[in-house]
Amino acid sequence: MISREHGKFRVTVIVDRCKECGLCIAICPVKVLVRSSIENKYGYRPPEPSDIEKCIGCKLCEYNCPDFAIFVEKVV
Amino acid sequence: MRKTFASGNIAVAEGAITAGLKFYAGYPITPSSEIMEYLAEKLPKLNGIVVQMEDEIASINAAIGASWAGAKSMTATSGPGFSLMAEAIGLAVITETPVVIVDVMRAGPSTGVPTKTSQSDVLQARWLAHGDYIVPCYAPWSVQEAYDLVIKAFNTAELLRTPVIVLSDAVIAHLWEPLTMYDQGEVEIINRKIPKGTEITLPYKPDPDLIPPMPIFGKGFKTIVESLTHDERGYYAPHESAYRALITRLNLKILKRLDYIFDYETYNCTSECDYMLLSYGSTARVTYIAMLELRRRGYNICMLRLKTLWPIDREKLVNSCKARRIVVVENNIGKIYMDIDRVFKDREVYSAPILSLEPPSLREVLEVISIWL
Amino acid sequence: MAVESINIHPLDKHLRVDRIPTLYCPGCGIGITLGAMLRALDKRINEGLIDPNKIVWVGGIGCSARTVFYVRYDAAHVLHGRAIAFATGVVLANPELLVIVVGGDGDIAGIGGNHFIHAARRNIDIIVVMITNFVYAMTGGQVAPTTPRGVKTTTTPMGNPEPPLNAIKLVLALNANYAARASVTTPHYIENFFYKALGIKGFRFIEVISTCPEIYGRHIGLRDPVEMYNELKKRVKYKPKPSIEDADIDWEKGIIIGEFLERNNPSYLELLRGVYGK
Repeated sequence: MISREHGKFRVTVIVDRCKECGLCIAICPVKVLVRSSIENKYGYRPPEPSDIEKCIGCKLCEYNCPDFAIFVEKVV
Repeated sequence: MRKTFASGNIAVAEGAITAGLKFYAGYPITPSSEIMEYLAEKLPKLNGIVVQMEDEIASINAAIGASWAGAKSMTATSGPGFSLMAEAIGLAVITETPVVIVDVMRAGPSTGVPTKTSQSDVLQARWLAHGDYIVPCYAPWSVQEAYDLVIKAFNTAELLRTPVIVLSDAVIAHLWEPLTMYDQGEVEIINRKIPKGTEITLPYKPDPDLIPPMPIFGKGFKTIVESLTHDERGYYAPHESAYRALITRLNLKILKRLDYIFDYETYNCTSECDYMLLSYGSTARVTYIAMLELRRRGYNICMLRLKTLWPIDREKLVNSCKARRIVVVENNIGKIYMDIDRVFKDREVYSAPILSLEPPSLREVLEVISIWL
Repeated sequence: MAVESINIHPLDKHLRVDRIPTLYCPGCGIGITLGAMLRALDKRINEGLIDPNKIVWVGGIGCSARTVFYVRYDAAHVLHGRAIAFATGVVLANPELLVIVVGGDGDIAGIGGNHFIHAARRNIDIIVVMITNFVYAMTGGQVAPTTPRGVKTTTTPMGNPEPPLNAIKLVLALNANYAARASVTTPHYIENFFYKALGIKGFRFIEVISTCPEIYGRHIGLRDPVEMYNELKKRVKYKPKPSIEDADIDWEKGIIIGEFLERNNPSYLELLRGVYGK
């Protein structure tokens, strides 16, 4: 699991569920995500919330992920 | 106990009601339609549902769905509709769904002669769907037996979690005879096992009798009804070990209860018979008269009538009679004969096929039998 | 696997997490649809309107039908085209059950077309979610009843000569209580429409226009999941109260999504109670 957060939101990637379709990276309106260099157990490279500071918590990545592999939480 | 006068189709409907039928789905087809018409009046008053579906495919699939919702369910049809139900009978086999299918046989192939009788579906009932399986099949010869065997069909379905076929025909369907019906407590009614507790992880794990309790919908079991070859979790398992385990168990659970399923009757059988007539269903009625007539003429002849067409208990059959010559009388091109010939390997077994649209006459039957006497 | 078996994702409590990842190709729209449906279901369960023990998912055969593999509810994976017939039996035998049918355009509108028509005519109390990808994907890319004219598939190598079937228009001609169309590029609409359908009786139909980059994308030159998603997104327009004519699916002119039908005709169970007198 990759988890990054800033003061308001936390983005978590469940690495072994990702199939590297790239939808989350493309859909993010503020470009938080990039393709990571790690490979999961199926050989896919999951996204990484490298620019987490920009996250506005819109959850578009979560809602457009076909594989239940990424989600966004409010940090409380 | 109530005595009445009824047709075979009514007896089928009444037998189902006695057995606890709660859901019937069907499509009109001669000569079975009165079963649905009769139930449509009666079943709603007994908190059941009757629905006429858009075709026979929908009917059998709805009946299977209803069974998973906890209802004892049935559909009835005739040859053309029975053909359409083929795939779903396989679904009921692999998902281990109790459901009763009544096929009121008429002359085929194809549309054939809708209003006239036949026994030509006997092998279709056995091998209707693709894949390896055993579906028990009962064939009544009277109105009373139509009632009794439908109850037995429900009991078999519930006991073994399997589809069960009842083969009636146009003669039995429209024959009116006295019928004795049972009230609650007067006849054994079997209900399926249901698991205890809530969420189950291994819905297809069998008990020692090889039958898993049925995790019906709506009880929190979180069950998976799976049409694919599956493991005990109900998960798709395209592996030889899982495939073999499943297919072996599905067949073995039926064979293990051959004692319960297989039934027949003998008439005038002694230890010294020369000849035995073997028949079933409506054709057995006239075959019985033929046997009596031949005895009157001095032949040392007896008769055996199959009530269960499949699976057959070979041992029981072989030990049923010592007659050297066996003549199989049936209203088709000679289909059950093939099995009887295999069962009685060391005897002379002859086929006496009749292709008669009406109940075969005594003369016809005597003619075909006499060839072999 | 140890990490997979505990609930991590907010929807995990609705999923058989041991079966995830799904068998779907990367970028397939079915998972997006399922996610949106589960969020709507989650809301209804939290509102106390639906008992999670009374939900039954039914799927026929095909990629979309296999969603029933993944939900942690009573579920049935039955015969190709027969999910609606099976579901009809389930809900009539136990009207307490909420029955959800999920299938592809081939399963629901092709081989299952007759059951689809008659369930909508009867206003049977089930929800049907049809995920349209315009192709038979699981079998490798053959023409579907929804494939647009001209598209080359493995069984129409010279281009599809047939006009497609429009499932929304078909349902509008029948006796259903709800018909809506969303797109995987608008998961919030899938969620909203499904949420609404969960609160209505009778036959409810939602068509979800989906992306199938691996199979259909290959046929139309959009092999990349993101590219296909973006091309579909460009063409999808939400319209409040769309008309029957708006239901046309035209890749060039665009695809209208929205709620095409909402009414309160007596459902089959209500009609049955009427004639049965209880």
